Amino acid sequence: MIKGKAKFLLFFVILFLIILPLIKPPTYFLSLIFKIFLYIILSESWNLIGGFTGYLSFGHVAFFGIGVYTSAILMQNLGISPFIGALPAGILSSAVALIIGYPCLRLRGPYFAVVTLCFAFIVDLVVKNWNFLGGSEGIHLKLMEMDIQISRSIFYEIFLGLSILIVFFSRWIQNNKFGLGLAAIREDEDVAQTLCINTSDLKIKAFILSAFFPGIAGGIYAYYISYIHPDIVFDISISILIVLMALFGGGSSWSGPLIGAIILSIVNEILSLFIKPEFARIIYGGMFMIVIVFMPDGIVSFLKGERGK
Amino acid sequence: MFNLIVIIQSIVSGLLIGGIFALLGVGFSLTWGVMKVINIAHAAFGLLASYIAYWGLNLYGIDPILSLFLSLPLLFVTGLFIHRFLIQHITRSKDIIVASMILTFGLAIILENIMLLAWTPDERLITTSYSSKAIFLGDIIIRISNLLGFILSIIGISTIYLFLYHTKTGKAVRATWQDPEGAALQGVNLQKVSMIAFGLAIASSGAGGVALAYMYSFNPPSHNLWLIFLFLVVIVGGVGSIMGSAISGLLIGLITGLSNAFFPMQWINVLLFGLLMVILLIKPEGLFKK
Repeated sequence: MIKGKAKFLLFFVILFLIILPLIKPPTYFLSLIFKIFLYIILSESWNLIGGFTGYLSFGHVAFFGIGVYTSAILMQNLGISPFIGALPAGILSSAVALIIGYPCLRLRGPYFAVVTLCFAFIVDLVVKNWNFLGGSEGIHLKLMEMDIQISRSIFYEIFLGLSILIVFFSRWIQNNKFGLGLAAIREDEDVAQTLCINTSDLKIKAFILSAFFPGIAGGIYAYYISYIHPDIVFDISISILIVLMALFGGGSSWSGPLIGAIILSIVNEILSLFIKPEFARIIYGGMFMIVIVFMPDGIVSFLKGERGK
Repeated sequence: MFNLIVIIQSIVSGLLIGGIFALLGVGFSLTWGVMKVINIAHAAFGLLASYIAYWGLNLYGIDPILSLFLSLPLLFVTGLFIHRFLIQHITRSKDIIVASMILTFGLAIILENIMLLAWTPDERLITTSYSSKAIFLGDIIIRISNLLGFILSIIGISTIYLFLYHTKTGKAVRATWQDPEGAALQGVNLQKVSMIAFGLAIASSGAGGVALAYMYSFNPPSHNLWLIFLFLVVIVGGVGSIMGSAISGLLIGLITGLSNAFFPMQWINVLLFGLLMVILLIKPEGLFKK
Protein backbone atom coordinates (compact mmCIF):
# COMPACT_ATOMS: atom_id res chain seq x y z
CA MET A 1 0.00 0.00 0.00
CA ILE A 2 1.21 3.47 -0.76
CA LYS A 3 1.46 5.63 2.35
CA GLY A 4 0.46 9.30 2.62
CA LYS A 5 3.88 10.84 2.03
CA ALA A 6 4.74 8.53 -0.85
CA LYS A 7 1.35 9.21 -2.41
CA PHE A 8 2.08 12.93 -2.29
CA LEU A 9 5.49 12.41 -3.89
CA LEU A 10 4.05 10.15 -6.56
CA PHE A 11 1.40 12.75 -7.39
CA PHE A 12 4.08 15.39 -7.94
CA VAL A 13 6.28 13.10 -10.05
CA ILE A 14 3.35 12.31 -12.31
CA LEU A 15 2.29 15.96 -12.48
CA PHE A 16 5.85 16.95 -13.35
CA LEU A 17 6.01 14.33 -16.10
CA ILE A 18 2.68 15.56 -17.50
CA ILE A 19 3.68 19.21 -17.72
CA LEU A 20 7.25 18.47 -18.79
CA PRO A 21 6.62 19.01 -22.55
CA LEU A 22 5.19 22.46 -21.83
CA ILE A 23 8.56 23.79 -20.69
CA LYS A 24 9.97 22.68 -24.06
CA PRO A 25 12.88 20.42 -23.16
CA PRO A 26 15.26 19.40 -25.96
CA THR A 27 13.64 16.91 -28.37
CA TYR A 28 16.38 14.41 -27.60
CA PHE A 29 15.47 14.43 -23.95
CA LEU A 30 11.81 13.94 -24.74
CA SER A 31 12.64 11.01 -27.02
CA LEU A 32 14.75 9.42 -24.32
CA ILE A 33 11.90 9.53 -21.81
CA PHE A 34 9.58 8.26 -24.54
CA LYS A 35 11.85 5.26 -24.98
CA ILE A 36 11.84 4.64 -21.22
CA PHE A 37 8.02 4.71 -21.27
CA LEU A 38 8.03 2.22 -24.13
CA TYR A 39 10.18 -0.20 -22.17
CA ILE A 40 8.10 0.29 -19.03
CA ILE A 41 5.00 -0.68 -20.99
CA LEU A 42 6.70 -3.68 -22.59
CA SER A 43 8.37 -5.09 -19.51
CA GLU A 44 5.41 -4.46 -17.21
CA SER A 45 3.13 -6.30 -19.59
CA TRP A 46 5.68 -9.08 -20.10
CA ASN A 47 5.78 -9.39 -16.34
CA LEU A 48 2.12 -10.46 -16.21
CA ILE A 49 3.07 -13.78 -17.79
CA GLY A 50 6.84 -13.88 -17.21
CA GLY A 51 7.10 -12.55 -13.68
CA PHE A 52 3.76 -13.11 -11.97
CA THR A 53 3.11 -16.47 -13.59
CA GLY A 54 6.70 -17.61 -14.07
CA TYR A 55 6.35 -18.49 -17.76
CA LEU A 56 9.41 -17.00 -19.44
CA SER A 57 8.29 -15.84 -22.85
CA PHE A 58 11.16 -14.92 -25.14
CA GLY A 59 8.84 -14.08 -27.99
CA HIS A 60 7.13 -11.01 -26.66
CA VAL A 61 8.61 -8.77 -29.32
CA ALA A 62 6.30 -10.56 -31.77
CA PHE A 63 3.23 -9.02 -30.11
CA PHE A 64 4.82 -5.60 -30.25
CA GLY A 65 5.70 -6.12 -33.92
CA ILE A 66 2.21 -7.38 -34.75
CA GLY A 67 0.83 -4.19 -33.21
CA VAL A 68 3.20 -2.04 -35.25
CA TYR A 69 2.30 -3.77 -38.48
CA THR A 70 -1.46 -3.79 -37.86
CA SER A 71 -1.74 -0.07 -37.35
CA ALA A 72 0.73 0.63 -40.17
CA ILE A 73 -1.28 -1.46 -42.62
CA LEU A 74 -4.55 0.13 -41.46
CA MET A 75 -3.12 3.58 -42.04
CA GLN A 76 -1.52 2.82 -45.37
CA ASN A 77 -4.46 0.98 -46.91
CA LEU A 78 -7.50 2.47 -45.20
CA GLY A 79 -6.17 5.79 -43.95
CA ILE A 80 -7.06 5.06 -40.33
CA SER A 81 -5.04 7.10 -37.91
CA PRO A 82 -2.71 4.94 -35.78
CA PHE A 83 -4.15 6.57 -32.67
CA ILE A 84 -7.38 4.75 -33.50
CA GLY A 85 -5.63 1.83 -35.20
CA ALA A 86 -3.79 1.04 -31.99
CA LEU A 87 -6.93 -0.52 -30.55
CA PRO A 88 -7.40 -3.12 -33.33
CA ALA A 89 -3.63 -3.62 -33.11
CA GLY A 90 -3.93 -4.53 -29.44
CA ILE A 91 -6.91 -6.75 -30.13
CA LEU A 92 -5.10 -8.58 -32.93
CA SER A 93 -2.07 -9.12 -30.68
CA SER A 94 -4.36 -10.57 -28.03
CA ALA A 95 -6.06 -12.79 -30.58
CA VAL A 96 -2.70 -14.13 -31.73
CA ALA A 97 -1.78 -14.66 -28.08
CA LEU A 98 -4.96 -16.68 -27.61
CA ILE A 99 -4.22 -18.89 -30.61
CA ILE A 100 -0.54 -19.34 -29.73
CA GLY A 101 -1.02 -19.46 -25.98
CA TYR A 102 -3.63 -22.18 -25.98
CA PRO A 103 -1.27 -24.97 -27.10
CA CYS A 104 2.00 -23.41 -25.90
CA LEU A 105 1.03 -22.75 -22.30
CA ARG A 106 0.80 -26.47 -21.70
CA LEU A 107 4.58 -26.50 -21.94
CA ARG A 108 6.62 -25.48 -18.93
CA GLY A 109 9.99 -23.96 -18.16
CA PRO A 110 12.54 -24.15 -20.95
CA TYR A 111 10.10 -25.71 -23.40
CA PHE A 112 7.81 -22.71 -23.17
CA ALA A 113 10.79 -20.36 -23.57
CA VAL A 114 11.96 -22.17 -26.70
CA VAL A 115 8.53 -22.39 -28.27
CA THR A 116 7.91 -18.66 -27.80
CA LEU A 117 11.34 -17.91 -29.22
CA CYS A 118 10.48 -19.99 -32.28
CA PHE A 119 7.17 -18.17 -32.59
CA ALA A 120 8.95 -14.80 -32.67
CA PHE A 121 11.39 -16.04 -35.32
CA ILE A 122 8.57 -17.40 -37.46
CA VAL A 123 6.52 -14.19 -37.32
CA ASP A 124 9.62 -12.21 -38.24
CA LEU A 125 10.44 -14.45 -41.21
CA VAL A 126 6.84 -14.55 -42.44
CA VAL A 127 6.53 -10.76 -42.37
CA LYS A 128 9.87 -10.42 -44.16
CA ASN A 129 8.71 -12.68 -46.97
CA TRP A 130 5.16 -11.43 -47.32
CA ASN A 131 4.92 -8.72 -49.95
CA PHE A 132 1.56 -7.40 -48.76
CA LEU A 133 3.31 -6.33 -45.55
CA GLY A 134 6.09 -4.57 -47.43
CA GLY A 135 8.40 -7.61 -47.25
CA SER A 136 12.00 -6.85 -46.48
CA GLU A 137 11.66 -3.33 -47.91
CA GLY A 138 9.49 -2.19 -45.05
CA ILE A 139 6.67 0.35 -44.99
CA HIS A 140 6.89 4.12 -45.12
CA LEU A 141 4.14 5.99 -43.31
CA LYS A 142 3.28 9.66 -43.79
CA LEU A 143 4.64 11.80 -41.00
CA MET A 144 2.31 13.84 -38.84
CA GLU A 145 1.93 17.29 -40.39
CA MET A 146 3.05 19.10 -37.31
CA ASP A 147 6.03 20.69 -35.71
CA ILE A 148 8.37 17.95 -34.47
CA GLN A 149 8.37 19.29 -30.92
CA ILE A 150 4.56 19.18 -30.76
CA SER A 151 4.23 15.75 -32.35
CA ARG A 152 6.90 14.35 -30.03
CA SER A 153 5.02 15.84 -27.09
CA ILE A 154 1.81 14.14 -28.18
CA PHE A 155 3.52 10.74 -28.40
CA TYR A 156 5.17 11.42 -25.07
CA GLU A 157 1.86 12.15 -23.34
CA ILE A 158 0.17 9.08 -24.80
CA PHE A 159 2.97 6.78 -23.72
CA LEU A 160 3.06 8.43 -20.31
CA GLY A 161 -0.65 7.70 -19.94
CA LEU A 162 -0.17 4.10 -21.09
CA SER A 163 2.75 3.58 -18.70
CA ILE A 164 0.78 4.89 -15.73
CA LEU A 165 -2.16 2.75 -16.76
CA ILE A 166 -0.13 -0.45 -17.05
CA VAL A 167 1.79 0.14 -13.81
CA PHE A 168 -1.41 0.68 -11.82
CA PHE A 169 -3.12 -2.15 -13.65
CA SER A 170 -0.25 -4.47 -12.79
CA ARG A 171 -0.30 -3.34 -9.15
CA TRP A 172 -4.05 -3.93 -9.03
CA ILE A 173 -3.66 -7.41 -10.52
CA GLN A 174 -0.90 -8.37 -8.13
CA ASN A 175 -3.12 -7.77 -5.13
CA ASN A 176 -6.38 -9.26 -6.34
CA LYS A 177 -7.53 -12.85 -6.60
CA PHE A 178 -6.37 -13.20 -10.20
CA GLY A 179 -2.83 -12.14 -9.28
CA LEU A 180 -2.74 -14.47 -6.31
CA GLY A 181 -3.77 -17.32 -8.58
CA LEU A 182 -0.92 -16.44 -10.92
CA ALA A 183 1.51 -16.38 -7.99
CA ALA A 184 0.28 -19.81 -6.97
CA ILE A 185 1.06 -21.08 -10.47
CA ARG A 186 4.53 -19.57 -10.27
CA GLU A 187 5.31 -21.14 -6.92
CA ASP A 188 3.94 -24.59 -7.68
CA GLU A 189 1.58 -25.24 -10.54
CA ASP A 190 0.68 -28.80 -9.56
CA VAL A 191 -0.25 -27.82 -6.04
CA ALA A 192 -2.24 -24.88 -7.39
CA GLN A 193 -4.19 -27.30 -9.55
CA THR A 194 -5.02 -29.53 -6.63
CA LEU A 195 -6.35 -26.47 -4.80
CA CYS A 196 -9.01 -26.08 -7.50
CA ILE A 197 -7.27 -23.17 -9.20
CA ASN A 198 -8.09 -23.32 -12.90
CA THR A 199 -4.49 -22.87 -13.95
CA SER A 200 -4.88 -23.13 -17.70
CA ASP A 201 -7.65 -20.53 -17.64
CA LEU A 202 -5.59 -18.10 -15.55
CA LYS A 203 -2.48 -18.62 -17.66
CA ILE A 204 -4.22 -17.92 -20.96
CA LYS A 205 -5.85 -14.80 -19.51
CA ALA A 206 -2.50 -13.53 -18.27
CA PHE A 207 -0.92 -14.29 -21.64
CA ILE A 208 -3.65 -12.45 -23.55
CA LEU A 209 -3.41 -9.42 -21.28
CA SER A 210 0.36 -9.39 -21.56
CA ALA A 211 0.05 -9.34 -25.36
CA PHE A 212 -2.60 -6.61 -25.45
CA PHE A 213 -0.51 -3.70 -24.15
CA PRO A 214 2.54 -4.34 -26.39
CA GLY A 215 0.09 -4.44 -29.31
CA ILE A 216 -1.32 -1.02 -28.42
CA ALA A 217 2.10 0.45 -27.74
CA GLY A 218 3.33 -0.99 -31.05
CA GLY A 219 0.37 0.49 -32.88
CA ILE A 220 1.29 3.97 -31.73
CA TYR A 221 5.00 3.36 -32.06
CA ALA A 222 4.43 2.67 -35.79
CA TYR A 223 3.37 6.30 -36.25
CA TYR A 224 6.28 7.49 -34.13
CA ILE A 225 9.02 5.82 -36.16
CA SER A 226 7.08 6.11 -39.47
CA TYR A 227 9.52 3.75 -41.22
CA ILE A 228 8.70 0.16 -40.39
CA HIS A 229 11.01 -2.73 -41.07
CA PRO A 230 10.92 -6.30 -39.68
CA ASP A 231 14.52 -5.99 -38.51
CA ILE A 232 13.55 -3.05 -36.30
CA VAL A 233 10.21 -4.09 -34.85
CA PHE A 234 10.81 -7.85 -34.65
CA ASP A 235 14.35 -7.55 -33.33
CA ILE A 236 14.77 -10.49 -30.95
CA SER A 237 17.08 -8.44 -28.75
CA ILE A 238 14.04 -6.34 -27.77
CA SER A 239 12.52 -9.54 -26.37
CA ILE A 240 15.68 -10.27 -24.45
CA LEU A 241 15.91 -6.71 -23.18
CA ILE A 242 12.35 -6.84 -21.87
CA VAL A 243 13.08 -10.05 -20.00
CA LEU A 244 16.31 -8.64 -18.60
CA MET A 245 14.61 -5.45 -17.42
CA ALA A 246 11.84 -7.30 -15.62
CA LEU A 247 14.22 -9.80 -14.01
CA PHE A 248 16.72 -7.09 -13.13
CA GLY A 249 14.07 -5.23 -11.18
CA GLY A 250 12.46 -8.40 -9.87
CA GLY A 251 9.65 -10.18 -11.62
CA SER A 252 7.42 -11.10 -8.73
CA SER A 253 6.27 -7.55 -8.04
CA TRP A 254 4.81 -4.71 -10.13
CA SER A 255 7.62 -2.37 -9.06
CA GLY A 256 10.39 -4.62 -10.43
CA PRO A 257 9.89 -4.11 -14.17
CA LEU A 258 9.24 -0.40 -13.62
CA ILE A 259 12.55 0.12 -11.85
CA GLY A 260 14.38 -2.31 -14.13
CA ALA A 261 13.12 -0.55 -17.26
CA ILE A 262 14.08 2.90 -15.97
CA ILE A 263 17.56 1.89 -14.80
CA LEU A 264 18.48 -0.25 -17.79
CA SER A 265 17.13 2.21 -20.38
CA ILE A 266 19.25 4.97 -18.87
CA VAL A 267 22.29 2.70 -18.56
CA ASN A 268 21.78 1.61 -22.16
CA GLU A 269 21.59 5.22 -23.35
CA ILE A 270 24.70 6.26 -21.45
CA LEU A 271 26.65 3.22 -22.62
CA SER A 272 25.69 3.69 -26.26
CA LEU A 273 26.69 7.35 -26.08
CA PHE A 274 30.16 6.79 -24.75
CA ILE A 275 31.47 3.41 -25.81
CA LYS A 276 31.35 1.09 -28.78
CA PRO A 277 28.11 -0.90 -29.06
CA GLU A 278 30.04 -4.18 -28.77
CA PHE A 279 31.47 -3.16 -25.40
CA ALA A 280 28.05 -1.93 -24.33
CA ARG A 281 26.57 -5.33 -25.13
CA ILE A 282 29.38 -7.13 -23.32
CA ILE A 283 28.48 -5.12 -20.22
CA TYR A 284 24.84 -6.02 -20.81
CA GLY A 285 25.66 -9.70 -20.99
CA GLY A 286 27.66 -9.35 -17.81
CA MET A 287 24.67 -7.75 -16.11
CA PHE A 288 22.54 -10.77 -17.04
CA MET A 289 25.03 -12.98 -15.25
CA ILE A 290 25.40 -10.74 -12.21
CA VAL A 291 21.65 -10.49 -11.82
CA ILE A 292 21.11 -14.23 -11.88
CA VAL A 293 24.09 -15.10 -9.67
CA PHE A 294 23.88 -12.39 -7.03
CA MET A 295 20.29 -11.19 -7.02
CA PRO A 296 18.06 -13.93 -8.41
CA ASP A 297 14.99 -12.12 -7.05
CA GLY A 298 15.86 -8.80 -8.66
CA ILE A 299 17.30 -5.55 -7.46
CA VAL A 300 14.20 -4.42 -5.57
CA SER A 301 14.16 -7.32 -3.11
CA PHE A 302 17.98 -7.29 -3.07
CA LEU A 303 17.96 -3.71 -1.77
CA LYS A 304 15.08 -4.40 0.61
CA GLY A 305 16.91 -7.44 1.98
CA GLU A 306 20.04 -5.37 2.54
CA ARG A 307 18.10 -2.78 4.48
CA GLY A 308 16.38 -5.42 6.55
CA LYS A 309 19.65 -6.86 7.86
CA MET B 1 12.86 -31.30 -61.75
CA PHE B 2 12.05 -34.09 -59.33
CA ASN B 3 14.59 -36.48 -60.67
CA LEU B 4 16.27 -39.20 -58.71
CA ILE B 5 19.79 -37.75 -58.83
CA VAL B 6 18.68 -34.53 -57.17
CA ILE B 7 16.89 -36.43 -54.46
CA ILE B 8 19.80 -38.77 -53.76
CA GLN B 9 22.22 -35.87 -53.84
CA SER B 10 20.20 -33.91 -51.31
CA ILE B 11 19.82 -36.96 -49.10
CA VAL B 12 23.58 -37.52 -49.13
CA SER B 13 24.50 -33.92 -48.38
CA GLY B 14 21.71 -33.70 -45.84
CA LEU B 15 23.04 -36.71 -43.96
CA LEU B 16 26.57 -35.30 -44.01
CA ILE B 17 25.34 -32.05 -42.47
CA GLY B 18 23.13 -33.97 -40.08
CA GLY B 19 26.13 -35.77 -38.60
CA ILE B 20 27.57 -32.40 -37.69
CA PHE B 21 24.31 -31.22 -36.15
CA ALA B 22 24.44 -34.35 -34.06
CA LEU B 23 27.97 -33.62 -32.87
CA LEU B 24 26.99 -30.08 -31.94
CA GLY B 25 23.86 -31.30 -30.19
CA VAL B 26 25.42 -34.13 -28.18
CA GLY B 27 27.14 -31.89 -25.66
CA PHE B 28 24.12 -29.63 -25.39
CA SER B 29 21.98 -32.65 -24.65
CA LEU B 30 24.51 -33.92 -22.10
CA THR B 31 24.57 -30.75 -19.98
CA TRP B 32 20.79 -30.43 -20.19
CA GLY B 33 20.26 -34.05 -19.18
CA VAL B 34 22.98 -34.50 -16.56
CA MET B 35 23.05 -31.20 -14.71
CA LYS B 36 19.81 -29.55 -15.84
CA VAL B 37 21.78 -26.73 -17.42
CA ILE B 38 20.61 -25.39 -20.76
CA ASN B 39 23.71 -23.84 -22.18
CA ILE B 40 22.55 -21.10 -24.54
CA ALA B 41 26.21 -20.27 -25.16
CA HIS B 42 26.92 -23.81 -26.44
CA ALA B 43 26.84 -22.81 -30.11
CA ALA B 44 28.82 -19.67 -29.37
CA PHE B 45 31.67 -21.81 -28.01
CA GLY B 46 31.49 -23.90 -31.16
CA LEU B 47 31.74 -20.74 -33.21
CA LEU B 48 34.76 -19.68 -31.18
CA ALA B 49 36.52 -22.88 -32.28
CA SER B 50 35.54 -22.12 -35.88
CA TYR B 51 37.23 -18.74 -35.56
CA ILE B 52 40.34 -20.27 -33.98
CA ALA B 53 40.48 -22.66 -36.93
CA TYR B 54 39.97 -19.75 -39.32
CA TRP B 55 42.77 -17.81 -37.70
CA GLY B 56 45.12 -20.76 -37.60
CA LEU B 57 44.51 -21.40 -41.28
CA ASN B 58 44.79 -17.84 -42.52
CA LEU B 59 47.63 -16.62 -40.31
CA TYR B 60 49.79 -19.70 -39.94
CA GLY B 61 48.50 -22.10 -42.56
CA ILE B 62 47.48 -24.69 -39.94
CA ASP B 63 44.90 -27.19 -41.11
CA PRO B 64 41.54 -26.73 -39.32
CA ILE B 65 41.65 -30.32 -38.06
CA LEU B 66 45.04 -29.69 -36.46
CA SER B 67 43.76 -26.51 -34.84
CA LEU B 68 41.41 -28.70 -32.83
CA PHE B 69 44.42 -29.88 -30.82
CA LEU B 70 44.67 -26.32 -29.56
CA SER B 71 41.03 -25.29 -29.35
CA LEU B 72 39.56 -28.41 -27.76
CA PRO B 73 41.79 -28.44 -24.65
CA LEU B 74 41.28 -24.69 -24.43
CA LEU B 75 37.50 -25.06 -24.54
CA PHE B 76 37.62 -27.95 -22.10
CA VAL B 77 39.49 -25.87 -19.54
CA THR B 78 37.19 -22.89 -20.18
CA GLY B 79 34.26 -25.20 -19.53
CA LEU B 80 35.75 -26.31 -16.20
CA PHE B 81 36.20 -22.70 -15.14
CA ILE B 82 32.71 -21.68 -16.24
CA HIS B 83 31.23 -24.52 -14.29
CA ARG B 84 33.31 -23.80 -11.22
CA PHE B 85 32.77 -20.05 -11.09
CA LEU B 86 29.34 -19.54 -12.67
CA ILE B 87 27.21 -22.65 -12.92
CA GLN B 88 27.93 -23.79 -9.36
CA HIS B 89 26.48 -20.52 -8.06
CA ILE B 90 23.07 -21.24 -9.50
CA THR B 91 22.79 -24.94 -8.64
CA ARG B 92 21.01 -23.97 -5.45
CA SER B 93 18.43 -21.73 -7.14
CA LYS B 94 14.79 -22.71 -7.24
CA ASP B 95 14.55 -23.30 -10.95
CA ILE B 96 18.02 -24.23 -12.16
CA ILE B 97 17.05 -24.73 -15.81
CA VAL B 98 15.63 -21.25 -16.22
CA ALA B 99 18.42 -19.68 -14.16
CA SER B 100 21.03 -21.42 -16.30
CA MET B 101 19.31 -20.23 -19.47
CA ILE B 102 19.53 -16.62 -18.35
CA LEU B 103 23.09 -17.00 -17.12
CA THR B 104 24.34 -18.55 -20.34
CA PHE B 105 22.30 -16.10 -22.40
CA GLY B 106 24.49 -13.42 -20.85
CA LEU B 107 27.55 -15.52 -21.62
CA ALA B 108 26.46 -15.93 -25.25
CA ILE B 109 26.00 -12.17 -25.64
CA ILE B 110 29.48 -11.59 -24.23
CA LEU B 111 31.08 -14.21 -26.48
CA GLU B 112 29.27 -12.93 -29.57
CA ASN B 113 30.46 -9.39 -28.99
CA ILE B 114 34.01 -10.44 -28.21
CA MET B 115 34.00 -12.28 -31.53
CA LEU B 116 32.55 -9.19 -33.22
CA LEU B 117 35.40 -7.13 -31.83
CA ALA B 118 38.05 -9.67 -32.74
CA TRP B 119 36.84 -10.76 -36.17
CA THR B 120 34.30 -8.10 -37.33
CA PRO B 121 30.80 -9.00 -38.59
CA ASP B 122 32.12 -10.07 -42.03
CA GLU B 123 31.14 -13.51 -43.26
CA ARG B 124 34.10 -15.90 -43.04
CA LEU B 125 34.69 -19.12 -44.88
CA ILE B 126 37.27 -21.79 -44.24
CA THR B 127 38.96 -22.46 -47.55
CA THR B 128 41.58 -25.17 -47.52
CA SER B 129 43.57 -26.65 -50.38
CA TYR B 130 41.04 -29.52 -50.57
CA SER B 131 37.90 -27.37 -50.28
CA SER B 132 37.17 -27.51 -53.97
CA LYS B 133 37.92 -31.21 -54.33
CA ALA B 134 35.21 -33.83 -54.32
CA ILE B 135 34.57 -37.52 -54.73
CA PHE B 136 32.25 -38.58 -57.54
CA LEU B 137 30.09 -41.63 -57.07
CA GLY B 138 28.39 -41.81 -60.43
CA ASP B 139 26.49 -38.51 -60.57
CA ILE B 140 26.54 -37.97 -56.82
CA ILE B 141 29.07 -35.44 -55.59
CA ILE B 142 30.59 -35.68 -52.13
CA ARG B 143 32.82 -32.79 -51.20
CA ILE B 144 35.98 -33.77 -49.34
CA SER B 145 35.46 -31.06 -46.72
CA ASN B 146 31.92 -32.24 -46.00
CA LEU B 147 33.19 -35.79 -45.70
CA LEU B 148 35.93 -34.67 -43.29
CA GLY B 149 33.37 -32.85 -41.17
CA PHE B 150 31.21 -35.95 -41.10
CA ILE B 151 34.11 -38.20 -40.11
CA LEU B 152 34.99 -35.72 -37.38
CA SER B 153 31.43 -35.99 -36.06
CA ILE B 154 31.53 -39.76 -36.00
CA ILE B 155 34.83 -39.67 -34.09
CA GLY B 156 33.49 -37.04 -31.70
CA ILE B 157 30.23 -38.81 -30.93
CA SER B 158 31.95 -42.18 -30.56
CA THR B 159 34.48 -40.66 -28.16
CA ILE B 160 31.69 -39.27 -25.99
CA TYR B 161 29.84 -42.56 -26.17
CA LEU B 162 32.93 -44.55 -25.19
CA PHE B 163 33.68 -42.11 -22.41
CA LEU B 164 30.17 -42.40 -20.96
CA TYR B 165 29.88 -46.16 -21.19
CA HIS B 166 33.42 -47.46 -20.74
CA THR B 167 35.26 -45.21 -18.31
CA LYS B 168 34.80 -44.83 -14.59
CA THR B 169 34.20 -41.08 -14.77
CA GLY B 170 31.77 -41.58 -17.60
CA LYS B 171 29.82 -44.11 -15.61
CA ALA B 172 29.77 -41.64 -12.72
CA VAL B 173 28.33 -39.02 -15.09
CA ARG B 174 25.56 -41.41 -16.10
CA ALA B 175 24.90 -42.34 -12.51
CA THR B 176 24.60 -38.66 -11.58
CA TRP B 177 22.12 -38.18 -14.36
CA GLN B 178 19.91 -41.07 -13.29
CA ASP B 179 19.93 -40.33 -9.58
CA PRO B 180 22.16 -37.57 -8.18
CA GLU B 181 21.56 -38.44 -4.54
CA GLY B 182 22.11 -42.15 -5.07
CA ALA B 183 25.31 -41.43 -6.96
CA ALA B 184 26.54 -39.15 -4.19
CA LEU B 185 25.87 -41.91 -1.66
CA GLN B 186 28.04 -44.25 -3.72
CA GLY B 187 30.94 -41.85 -3.36
CA VAL B 188 30.58 -39.93 -6.61
CA ASN B 189 31.88 -36.39 -6.31
CA LEU B 190 28.95 -34.61 -7.97
CA GLN B 191 30.68 -31.26 -8.44
CA LYS B 192 33.76 -32.82 -10.01
CA VAL B 193 31.75 -35.09 -12.29
CA SER B 194 29.51 -32.26 -13.47
CA MET B 195 32.54 -30.09 -14.05
CA ILE B 196 34.17 -32.70 -16.28
CA ALA B 197 30.93 -33.34 -18.15
CA PHE B 198 30.49 -29.62 -18.74
CA GLY B 199 34.05 -29.22 -20.00
CA LEU B 200 33.60 -32.19 -22.30
CA ALA B 201 30.33 -30.81 -23.65
CA ILE B 202 31.88 -27.48 -24.50
CA ALA B 203 34.89 -29.17 -26.11
CA SER B 204 32.54 -31.26 -28.26
CA SER B 205 30.81 -28.10 -29.42
CA GLY B 206 34.22 -26.89 -30.59
CA ALA B 207 34.66 -29.96 -32.78
CA GLY B 208 31.14 -29.45 -34.13
CA GLY B 209 31.85 -25.79 -34.78
CA VAL B 210 34.92 -26.57 -36.88
CA ALA B 211 33.08 -29.29 -38.77
CA LEU B 212 30.22 -26.90 -39.54
CA ALA B 213 32.64 -24.15 -40.57
CA TYR B 214 33.82 -26.46 -43.36
CA MET B 215 30.37 -26.28 -44.93
CA TYR B 216 28.84 -22.92 -44.19
CA SER B 217 30.19 -19.42 -44.02
CA PHE B 218 29.86 -17.93 -40.56
CA ASN B 219 29.89 -14.63 -38.72
CA PRO B 220 29.55 -13.91 -35.00
CA PRO B 221 25.72 -13.85 -34.90
CA SER B 222 25.55 -17.24 -36.68
CA HIS B 223 25.50 -19.03 -33.36
CA ASN B 224 21.88 -17.94 -32.87
CA LEU B 225 20.81 -19.97 -35.88
CA TRP B 226 22.99 -22.88 -34.78
CA LEU B 227 21.27 -22.74 -31.42
CA ILE B 228 17.90 -23.37 -33.04
CA PHE B 229 19.38 -26.48 -34.64
CA LEU B 230 20.70 -27.54 -31.24
CA PHE B 231 17.26 -27.27 -29.73
CA LEU B 232 15.83 -29.18 -32.67
CA VAL B 233 18.38 -31.98 -32.30
CA VAL B 234 17.94 -32.28 -28.55
CA ILE B 235 14.18 -31.97 -28.46
CA VAL B 236 13.64 -34.40 -31.31
CA GLY B 237 16.18 -36.85 -29.93
CA GLY B 238 15.13 -36.61 -26.31
CA VAL B 239 17.05 -34.68 -23.65
CA GLY B 240 20.20 -36.42 -22.48
CA SER B 241 20.17 -39.23 -25.01
CA ILE B 242 23.40 -39.68 -26.98
CA MET B 243 21.98 -42.08 -29.54
CA GLY B 244 18.82 -39.99 -29.77
CA SER B 245 20.92 -36.93 -30.60
CA ALA B 246 22.84 -38.85 -33.23
CA ILE B 247 19.71 -40.14 -34.93
CA SER B 248 17.80 -36.87 -34.71
CA GLY B 249 20.82 -34.97 -36.01
CA LEU B 250 20.85 -37.17 -39.12
CA LEU B 251 17.08 -36.83 -39.46
CA ILE B 252 17.18 -33.05 -39.27
CA GLY B 253 20.07 -32.94 -41.71
CA LEU B 254 17.97 -35.08 -44.04
CA ILE B 255 14.99 -32.73 -43.74
CA THR B 256 17.22 -29.71 -44.29
CA GLY B 257 18.85 -31.33 -47.31
CA LEU B 258 15.56 -32.32 -48.91
CA SER B 259 13.88 -29.01 -48.21
CA ASN B 260 16.92 -27.26 -49.71
CA ALA B 261 16.14 -29.04 -52.94
CA PHE B 262 12.41 -28.39 -53.05
CA PHE B 263 11.67 -25.20 -51.11
CA PRO B 264 12.62 -21.61 -51.76
CA MET B 265 15.55 -20.57 -49.58
CA GLN B 266 13.74 -18.04 -47.42
CA TRP B 267 11.05 -20.46 -46.28
CA ILE B 268 13.38 -23.22 -45.06
CA ASN B 269 13.94 -21.63 -41.68
CA VAL B 270 10.21 -21.03 -41.26
CA LEU B 271 9.77 -24.73 -41.95
CA LEU B 272 12.39 -25.72 -39.38
CA PHE B 273 11.12 -23.40 -36.66
CA GLY B 274 7.59 -24.57 -37.37
CA LEU B 275 8.75 -28.18 -37.12
CA LEU B 276 10.38 -27.47 -33.77
CA MET B 277 7.19 -25.82 -32.49
CA VAL B 278 5.04 -28.71 -33.64
CA ILE B 279 7.34 -31.33 -32.07
CA LEU B 280 7.45 -29.37 -28.84
CA LEU B 281 3.69 -29.17 -28.73
CA ILE B 282 3.03 -32.77 -29.65
CA LYS B 283 5.86 -34.69 -28.05
CA PRO B 284 8.13 -32.49 -25.90
CA GLU B 285 9.90 -35.51 -24.41
CA GLY B 286 11.46 -36.35 -27.78
CA LEU B 287 10.68 -38.83 -30.51
CA PHE B 288 13.23 -41.46 -29.50
CA LYS B 289 12.92 -41.43 -25.74
CA LYS B 290 12.30 -44.85 -24.31
